[in-house]
Amino acid sequence: VLVLELFVDLYDICEIFVPNVHTFFGLTVLESFGSVGSVCSLSFSPNFTIFPGTQGALSCNPSLGGVGKGHLVRELDALDGLCGRAGDWAGVHFSILNRSKGPAVWGPRAQLDRERYRQFIQSELLSTPRLTVLEGSVEELLVSQSNPNEPGHHRVTGICLVNGSQPILSSSVVLTTGTFLSGSLFMGQTTTPGGRIGDAPSCSGLSHTLRETLGLRVGRLKTGTPPRIVKESVELSLVQIQTPDKEPTPFSFLNTHTHCKPEEQLPCYLTHTTPGVERVVRESLHLNCHIQQDSKGPRYCPSIESRVLRFPGRQHQVWLEPEGLTSDLLYPQGLTMTMPPDLQLRLLREIPALHRAEIRTPGYGVHYDFVCPTQLNPSLQVKSTQGLFLAGQINGTTGYEEAAAQGLWAGVNAARAALSLPLLALCRTQSYIGVLIDDLVGRGVTEPYRMFTSRAEFRTSLRPDNADIRLTPRGFEEVGCVSLRRYKEAVRVRDSLQEGLAALKSVTLSSTRWREKLGNISLSESRNGSLNGLDLLQYKDVSFEMLAAIFPEHLSPYLEFSQRLNIEAVYRPHCEKQSREIERVQEEESLSLPPDMDYLSLPTSLSSEVRELLDRVRPNTLGAATRIPGMTPAAIVHLLHYVLRTAQRNQHTGQRVKAACKP
Amino acid sequence: MLLSTPWRLWRSAISTLKSLSRPAPVRHLSIPTDAVCDADTIFALSSGHGRCGVAVVRVSGPASSMVLRNMTGLTQTLPPPRTALLRRITDPHTKELLDRGLVLWFPGPHSFTGEDSAEFHVHGGPAVITAVLQGLGSLKGVRPAEAGEFTRRAFHAGKLGLTEVEGLGDLIHAETEAQRRQALRQMDGELGHLYQDWSSRLKRCLAHVEAFIDFSEDELIEDGVLNQVDSSVHRLQTEIERHLGDERRGERLRNGVQVVIAGATNAGKSSLLNTLCQRPAAIVSPIPGTTRDVVEASLDIGGFPVLLSDTAGLRDGLDSVEREGVRRARQRVEQADLTLVVVDSTQLPTEPKQAPTFLQGYLSIVLPQPSGGNPEEGREATSDRVLLVLNKSDLVPEAQKERTERELRESLGLPPACFLSCHTTTGLGDFLAVLQSRVKTLCGNPLSGAPSLTQARHRAHLQQSVQALSQYHQYRNHDLALAAEGVRLALTHIGRITGRVGAEEILDIVFRDFCIGK
Repeated sequence: VLVLELFVDLYDICEIFVPNVHTFFGLTVLESFGSVGSVCSLSFSPNFTIFPGTQGALSCNPSLGGVGKGHLVRELDALDGLCGRAGDWAGVHFSILNRSKGPAVWGPRAQLDRERYRQFIQSELLSTPRLTVLEGSVEELLVSQSNPNEPGHHRVTGICLVNGSQPILSSSVVLTTGTFLSGSLFMGQTTTPGGRIGDAPSCSGLSHTLRETLGLRVGRLKTGTPPRIVKESVELSLVQIQTPDKEPTPFSFLNTHTHCKPEEQLPCYLTHTTPGVERVVRESLHLNCHIQQDSKGPRYCPSIESRVLRFPGRQHQVWLEPEGLTSDLLYPQGLTMTMPPDLQLRLLREIPALHRAEIRTPGYGVHYDFVCPTQLNPSLQVKSTQGLFLAGQINGTTGYEEAAAQGLWAGVNAARAALSLPLLALCRTQSYIGVLIDDLVGRGVTEPYRMFTSRAEFRTSLRPDNADIRLTPRGFEEVGCVSLRRYKEAVRVRDSLQEGLAALKSVTLSSTRWREKLGNISLSESRNGSLNGLDLLQYKDVSFEMLAAIFPEHLSPYLEFSQRLNIEAVYRPHCEKQSREIERVQEEESLSLPPDMDYLSLPTSLSSEVRELLDRVRPNTLGAATRIPGMTPAAIVHLLHYVLRTAQRNQHTGQRVKAACKP
Repeated sequence: MLLSTPWRLWRSAISTLKSLSRPAPVRHLSIPTDAVCDADTIFALSSGHGRCGVAVVRVSGPASSMVLRNMTGLTQTLPPPRTALLRRITDPHTKELLDRGLVLWFPGPHSFTGEDSAEFHVHGGPAVITAVLQGLGSLKGVRPAEAGEFTRRAFHAGKLGLTEVEGLGDLIHAETEAQRRQALRQMDGELGHLYQDWSSRLKRCLAHVEAFIDFSEDELIEDGVLNQVDSSVHRLQTEIERHLGDERRGERLRNGVQVVIAGATNAGKSSLLNTLCQRPAAIVSPIPGTTRDVVEASLDIGGFPVLLSDTAGLRDGLDSVEREGVRRARQRVEQADLTLVVVDSTQLPTEPKQAPTFLQGYLSIVLPQPSGGNPEEGREATSDRVLLVLNKSDLVPEAQKERTERELRESLGLPPACFLSCHTTTGLGDFLAVLQSRVKTLCGNPLSGAPSLTQARHRAHLQQSVQALSQYHQYRNHDLALAAEGVRLALTHIGRITGRVGAEEILDIVFRDFCIGK
């Protein structure tokens, strides 16, 4: 019987009951862990550290999803992660962003009620079988002595808790330090150690172990949070009301409706900055340490200080978001600031709707350490340390969804590592999660990384509507993180869509006859004059429902999927154009390069510059090697030749080159 | 599966190189959304240019039979396989007679690439070759081959063995290097500026569409942004179409093998030019730094077209004019097919054993440092593309000269060296023989100095770029994701000329032009 102990560090502990980065991935780790385990029919004693009762100060905004981020949530749900279902339970304002811009870039988004979120998480947590919960704060990561044959290589052996009587042994550990790794808080001219106001700073031992013992390259990033405003003090007559969708669309493929009734949803509010805001920023610059620091903050989530400094003389948008059904606070999205609290109040009051605003908790900035993610494999395991997985801000990302995506994948692989199953990678051709991880481990980060749809080369194929078809079957069959119920549903949907498309193709009429049946539709004449249902759906004004009304016997069985069939029909020709390129990328990804390859002395014709490049980046696959800036095509071919030759030789001896990313 | 992979890789390898060949510093790259795919039918001039009576143009891919029919008027039947047939070769659209030549039909899999293939053997004049290449490029689904692509397809079809891959790496290296130099030369000119301008405008269009998609729901990005993109895209389409329609607009492309004379001041570079031209094309004087700009002369060396350039002597210039001259000289050397490095023999060490080291040092000053660091590889590439001319040999004692020659012959890694006196013309015959054989080899490579081929490539990519842009308008009002796909595709095609553009570069523009703050 294999006993696995899986740990999440202190920072999950702190945050597991609040909707924050770590909750999402803490739980997705959990989720994937349980499923992988059950598939393998092995007995576990997984231990999660949970610290109940964190109150108040939340480091992030009360919302989930959006453009690009919503794609991640849908994919997480398709892999049976928790955040989609939690969002459906806790959401109080649902909307699909980009509704008018095409289904490939729709952005499902929700404002969350923190209390409801907590309820959902708690019940999921307590009903997870074979889960032992430990409470405590991690003091130290335990690793084995460096292997003398492989200098610099370590293995995780467990963790030590603060005040723990004895170490807890484990072969897999997922580190999710958030903004706590050597974190410092900035407000005005004061700096205090910590990752979030109200929480204890991290133990310095962990940071030391990562840098000194494991020899990992560590960088520094910054972020910030706005002050929280008392709702009653806001002049709501002076703001624009932003209403949610009349019919909320759930995140999860398993849900047909959200917990919140459509009419119970809460609005958001929109207002704008004034020249007075800019004046306060300029006057307070000398009192603002955070803004004077030169570590990298995100370009797309800048503080109000950097916004007005970079784009002076403009109005900037401020969204006032509800924090929950019963909360008396509003979250001013776009007003992250780090000046002294009295000036924060002055700044807020320069905005007409906030002219008598009261601050509950002031905004502040955070500086924190991250581990340069090029030191990870696509499985999110640290290359040089067996069993150590990193996820979230420690890898240089920002945002819940980005963290959840990594958390799920790190969790999957942590569990697989403990079971001695091969680690897995997600290809960037298959998912936004794959794009995210590939960008991180392949290129590293220079600023906190956030997902945008423009990062995905295959955007028309990686849509929010088809995440289940893309990921659920593989998640069940290969990864082992998806429940049987979800798998069966995804297979049913996939088969029905295929049949529906075939049915559409089978209904054919001349364009004249279609015009008669559909009324005022302008159809272009095709060559032989006959058009099938798929052709018809290319026209903006034609919907599946309309066609089903004409051919009920053929099409009405698929009415349940009419929206998805509409989308499939329009996108299919474009996706087919991309499929060859997708295939190419996947084939490259399927040729893995041995992690211990000695590039400096490889007996093949490579320039010393390329050798150093390969040695430094240590790409996992040939595909990753081609994406290294500075790589030459000749070098790739030489490398390829070497790998093929080795593979051929190994085949004779019964070994195989392991596919990291199955096409 | 193992067999099929290298060739997919190859293309991406080539894309990587294209990004490297961009004159501007390379930024972060994402993987390409590559519109150019294996299903295309490709063509290339597979014979050299210059003094060749017959030029061979190869076509490979599924549309080969269509190509053959369209170019030869063989509407009903194809020629018998692997049999030469004399046909009138016509433009596929205007049906204008281009040449009379041999056509051959190789149905797959019994062809070099394993695909359906065809060959056109036409008269070797540049006008005929250009007309045939442009005719091919105007057919739908037919495009110029990328470096090494014929061989790649051959491997893909299992026509080459694994053992040949090693050599292929070197082949790609050579071909891409040749293309890179070619591209550098062309990007310098008016045409280059035009393409760069289109590329940067397209980048901006894409960035603004992407910004609208990713940020407009949360940020102040007005609908006006898209209207600007509409008109920009429209203007670009019009401009590119007009360019494609205006045959005369293409600037005169310098034809021939580019040979550049370089070296320290007062080594006798201009004298060498004058000697080779047999006329005083450049002013020569004993004053160092006499030549300040690039002096060019077109020559015929052994029947091959050569464009010879004399450059300013390389030294830290005394005035701004000379400094500019030195900059241009370095640029020319970078773009050259062949560099004649002129050395003042009287500066050679009197001890012949020290000569190789001295010359090694001299070369490292004159030649651009190879970007891919393996000194071994760099040296090999250098010796292929460089000749050392030890000028003023009449001023060196005969014994020293002979012993130095012997030392140089025996030392590895140095390009061939010729003692020569431009003053007395002693050694000129030997030098010309070496030069001629080098030029001949270079001309044998269809990729070096064949501007017509490059022109055909450019046209093909521009055409596809314009087509892709129409997808933008088609979807603009009801699916911005698909509309953006059109702009992405157009940029990919322009990027094949000017260098690939990655997602990070687009994001840079987004964050520069908009205040994204949520």
